[in-house]
Amino acid sequence: MILSRRSMLGGGAGLAAALTAGAANARVLPSAMEPLIGPNYRPTDRDEVGMWQQMARVEEELAGSNLLMKDPALNDYLKRLIGKVGGPAARDMRIYLARIPEFNAVMFPTGFTVIFSGLLLRMRNEAQLAGVIAHESGHFLRKHQIRQWRDMRTKSDVFAVLAMGAGVAGGAAGVYTGDLARLAQFGTILSLLRYNRTLEAEADAMGVRLLAEAGYAPTAMAETWDQLIRELDASARYRRKKRRRDWSLFSTHPSPESRMADLRLSAREVTVPGRVYDDGRARYLSAIAPIRTMLLDDQVKLNDPGASQTIVETLAIDGWNGLLRFHEAEVWRLRNRAGDDARAAQGYAAAVLYADAPPDAWRWHGVMLQKAGRIAEAKAAYTRYLAMAPNAPDAPFIRQLLQ
Amino acid sequence: MGRNLIAVGAAALLLSACVQTRQYADVEFAPPSGDYKLLVMRPDVTVGSVTTGGMVEPRADWTETARANLLAALRAQQAGRGGNVLILEKRDGLPGVDAETIAELERLHYAVGSSIALHKYSGAYLPTKRGKGLDWTLGADAVALGRKSGMDYALFLHAEDSFVSTGRVALQVLGIAGCAVGFCAPNIGGGGQFAYASLVDLRTGEVVWFNVLQTGSQVAGIKFGDIRTPDGAAVMVERLLGRMKPGRDVARALKATR
Repeated sequence: MILSRRSMLGGGAGLAAALTAGAANARVLPSAMEPLIGPNYRPTDRDEVGMWQQMARVEEELAGSNLLMKDPALNDYLKRLIGKVGGPAARDMRIYLARIPEFNAVMFPTGFTVIFSGLLLRMRNEAQLAGVIAHESGHFLRKHQIRQWRDMRTKSDVFAVLAMGAGVAGGAAGVYTGDLARLAQFGTILSLLRYNRTLEAEADAMGVRLLAEAGYAPTAMAETWDQLIRELDASARYRRKKRRRDWSLFSTHPSPESRMADLRLSAREVTVPGRVYDDGRARYLSAIAPIRTMLLDDQVKLNDPGASQTIVETLAIDGWNGLLRFHEAEVWRLRNRAGDDARAAQGYAAAVLYADAPPDAWRWHGVMLQKAGRIAEAKAAYTRYLAMAPNAPDAPFIRQLLQ
Repeated sequence: MGRNLIAVGAAALLLSACVQTRQYADVEFAPPSGDYKLLVMRPDVTVGSVTTGGMVEPRADWTETARANLLAALRAQQAGRGGNVLILEKRDGLPGVDAETIAELERLHYAVGSSIALHKYSGAYLPTKRGKGLDWTLGADAVALGRKSGMDYALFLHAEDSFVSTGRVALQVLGIAGCAVGFCAPNIGGGGQFAYASLVDLRTGEVVWFNVLQTGSQVAGIKFGDIRTPDGAAVMVERLLGRMKPGRDVARALKATR
């Protein structure tokens, strides 16, 4: 009897701890976010020195990876951008661009960051991209990785000692404490995840502040989240699924909705009335112009029509063009639902009305016309394709068709 | 009763502590001897400390010391065999070969080495490789490196070592003391070495010999040679490279001539 009452009490305490650990995090204020490091930062603490030594090897490996996009102009552009929103460490941070068609960016403990090409695809302007880079800079400026490591070390130490102590005490008193230890372990894990979410919230707040200080509209970060939420929803809807909503207790990041809401409030706080903020859209578009076709192509080939279509439509908020129309048609053609062939044919036809239609738009326009039996028009489209891309891999084949 | 408990505890301690090596060789492998030229690729060494909670915290100073000790021990050991050793401490340390070529070969070896680990050590045995000794190759890239550098063999080395912190030892003491009251946790583990060496014949590109060394104890606080000291590093090099066995065919031929 005594035994069960004790376990009940213990279980209740553990559960209470777990619940507190999982409670929603309060917003971190941008004004509270001072950088914790200055220029030319070098670690002096033993654990951080060890971490930096390992990371030097990681960076060396990464810098030679064949996933990286080496285009010097584009890399210079990104370097200038992190130079603008990197706060005191702007000159110390390194930025790498990897060809991975996903929405992501990662900051490593020693101040190098990897931007995924899928991020460049989704950003509508320079301010949005600068917002993500500012968030990543925030992780470095606030020393997040080492703080998280220390948090984990302390919590696992405390857990190990408590579990062993409880076991021995329980052994002496003749009580089995295994269940209690398991519950405490659960609480430890939850509190680790919570700490991670706090750090993400810090990076968001720090990012908003850096963004505004650099003269970009601080609302850009909230816009990015709004775009991502719509994309995730559309992607799930197409697959007749619901977007993963198991953020909360077990996630390492706060939910997109709460991040968006917090980012909006924070943006309002740091906005200076009367100041004109830049979105740098023209600069952004000219920087990514050489790779934009490739970015869209990589996304379309992921076979995620819900997401791809939303991305194209989001980019088209700033105006349709031949490139976007062409990839919209590609999404339909590859989706291949009933009626999609006709939809794609119309899409290619619409794309070639724009002066900036890519050669492939003319090619596919020709293919669709040929299928429909409109041979003369198809030939005209093919001729245009060959004129634009005389060295295309299939050029001899198309020439043969024209004869 | 008390005595029995201690006996059981002692048995557990003995069983849970061990040093293990397992090597594989190409069937036609004869350990290098005489006047051979060995290129040692930049050794991958990490030394850390095991926290009370069981995490391994990398230590920069220990790692540097251990790396220097291992290199010194390796030089001494290979000199004893009569080989000429060139140790690459940086990727651009080989005249006439650029860092990128070395990096690519390291990555290739990482992939091949992982495959060897999976199919020779982790139990996913391949029926097509049965009875063939070690049947892996780095291919033309390794041969090209041999031709450019004039080296006969390349050795790839990886070593990890970790030492338990005082906190973890104290936890272990508590775990063993608990046996007296019926809560026995005599093997919480922590600390130990893991290392492998892989020898590539640069004339054929083949991985001709592979050895994995594992030392560890499920009881925190027991050490098996400390690679932060010159003696401990020499012990690890000897365990890893000291007894290179010839491949099956070579061993048979040796037996026949005897």
